[in-house]
Amino acid sequence: MTLPRSLQARFALSVGLVLTVLWLLAATVTGLIVRGELDEVFDSALQETAERILPLAVTEIVGRDEDEVTQRLAPIRAHDEFFTYVIRDPEGQILLQSHAADPAAFPAYDGQGFRQTATHRLYSDAVLSGTIRITVAEPLAHRAAVARSIRMSLILPLLVMLPLALGGIVLAVRVSLTPLRRFRARLDARSARDLSPVPAADLPAEIAPLAATLNGLLARLRDAFEAERSFAANAAHELRTPLAGAIAQAQRLGLETTETTTRTRAAEIEATLKRLTRLSERLMQLARAEGGRLRMDDSADLRPVARLVVEDLARTVAPGRIALTLPETEVLSDIDPDAFAILCRNLIENALRHGADAAPVDVTLTAEGQLIVANEGPVVPPETLTRLTARFERAQASSDGSGLGLAIVAAIADRIGSEVLLESPRPGEATGFRASVRLPADGPKPSRAR
Amino acid sequence: MRILLIEDDTTLGAAVRDQIAADGQSVDWVTRLDAAGDAMRGAGYDLILLDLMLPDGRGIVFLKALRARGDATPVIILTALDQVSDRIEGLNAGADDYLVKPFDLAELSARIGSVARRYSGNPNPLIVHGPLQIDLAARSIHRAGKPVALTAREWALFEAFLARPGQLFSKPQLEEKLYAFDSEVESNTIEVHVSRLRKKLGGAIIQTERGMGYRLGKP
Repeated sequence: MTLPRSLQARFALSVGLVLTVLWLLAATVTGLIVRGELDEVFDSALQETAERILPLAVTEIVGRDEDEVTQRLAPIRAHDEFFTYVIRDPEGQILLQSHAADPAAFPAYDGQGFRQTATHRLYSDAVLSGTIRITVAEPLAHRAAVARSIRMSLILPLLVMLPLALGGIVLAVRVSLTPLRRFRARLDARSARDLSPVPAADLPAEIAPLAATLNGLLARLRDAFEAERSFAANAAHELRTPLAGAIAQAQRLGLETTETTTRTRAAEIEATLKRLTRLSERLMQLARAEGGRLRMDDSADLRPVARLVVEDLARTVAPGRIALTLPETEVLSDIDPDAFAILCRNLIENALRHGADAAPVDVTLTAEGQLIVANEGPVVPPETLTRLTARFERAQASSDGSGLGLAIVAAIADRIGSEVLLESPRPGEATGFRASVRLPADGPKPSRAR
Repeated sequence: MRILLIEDDTTLGAAVRDQIAADGQSVDWVTRLDAAGDAMRGAGYDLILLDLMLPDGRGIVFLKALRARGDATPVIILTALDQVSDRIEGLNAGADDYLVKPFDLAELSARIGSVARRYSGNPNPLIVHGPLQIDLAARSIHRAGKPVALTAREWALFEAFLARPGQLFSKPQLEEKLYAFDSEVESNTIEVHVSRLRKKLGGAIIQTERGMGYRLGKP
């Protein structure tokens, strides 16, 4: 048998079981002791009866006129006889017997003392050189009934007390586990991004170390997240400056040289460095998306961020390539603005890279906080669509992307409890591609009257 | 145009300095904020290129101090801090533009031109001046429909005049726009460039105010 998983049930069950066994053991031992005492009392009563009756019977029998007559003493009042007796002569002839005595229950006389048959307990004695012999019998059933009623009186309260005791145990265990339940509820109620210590001052001594360990773990986790976040930021910074220097030098080399081969080589170096820049940037973004805290304590308007990202990207492409639609009202969200910018940037870059060259990329942020990036282009087959958010996955093998853009978007979406919806063709049309993410938005705030 | 470059990375700083010089602007390059302060006390600058993480402090503090004392010199931030929050902070502190490393030198030149134009009051890079059609962004001039080639120095000088159409420039002011601290200035350099500009663009393009300096001629 396996123990139940609940500590409370385990406590209640084990304590209850031990209590029941002990109680039953105590009852059994008490029963046995009482039974022994009972036998002693009954035996002595048996012997006493015999010794009382015998002298009277002797007087009676000796003063009798005729011999060889069995006299049955009539009862004074009708009653059950627990003790019956016969008085016999040496030949076994019954001289006197009690009114309910059954001669068949009395075996032949075989000396003074206690005997026992299958049904009766007997005591025999003799006087006048053994010529008058008495045997008193008591049915064993009588003793058994008495013992049974004593046993019952021992067990009956048990039947009432045990459930009460078990209930009491369950209640006591439940009460003493209340702090633990409260601790669990506190832990349960917090959001995934809350790594602050759980208050554990009221916990029992046995559980307190566990809570301390948990809080230590939370603290380490928090530090690790923080370290990862600052690593991503620092590494990006540390990588950018030397890369910028190398790219700028390569560009200067290309501009200053008059030799075609040198210019070609400089361009190759530049292209490689730019690819390296893009890749390291994406890896940092991915590290940030997975490690950092993506929800802030305060909400901020997402529109300026979207505007900044679009302005930035618009500089690198033909005018009118990106069409941004923003709502009139603020779009308040507690998502980290930088995470939102990474999300935006990757979706737009993805659309620019894979969409049709001539058609604009439509970037829409709704008042409810949904970011939609749609572009014209060939239909992406559904099986490719499901693969797109996997890392290092490109729609076409020839594509020059890092293959991380949508994976980063998916990682951020996952961390903010949302998901990226990829659709192709774009809804309501025959071609194109649409990606959308629902952001944690506060929703339109009711305007406060002043 | 005279530009102050504040950048502590020597590889990047050298390339940026060469790019600006090749564009015909004069550039002073310092690697520390205190050196930047000294440079600004010694000369007037038309534009500052400011890195944010410098060995002796944060560029953003420098920028805020600059704006706090009412200095309106255009500032373009060059930084490796790529986060939107950093950029918003930079723009709010009073930067005119923001370039995240690594960047294209051509883009840097374009941004410098665009910020400078905005400050001169005419953000449109296409200027018509008499028979001249000038594209500041493309650095091209057409005279009566025919292209005219200017050297970098000539461009820089002409650009200075275009930026302040009515202003009278003294010879030292113009020299300052053409050379960095460490360049040698020959006594007749400005006269030589002015005469070349007149030859290429027409005699009336630059007027001489005897004993005082030069200004852009009426179209």
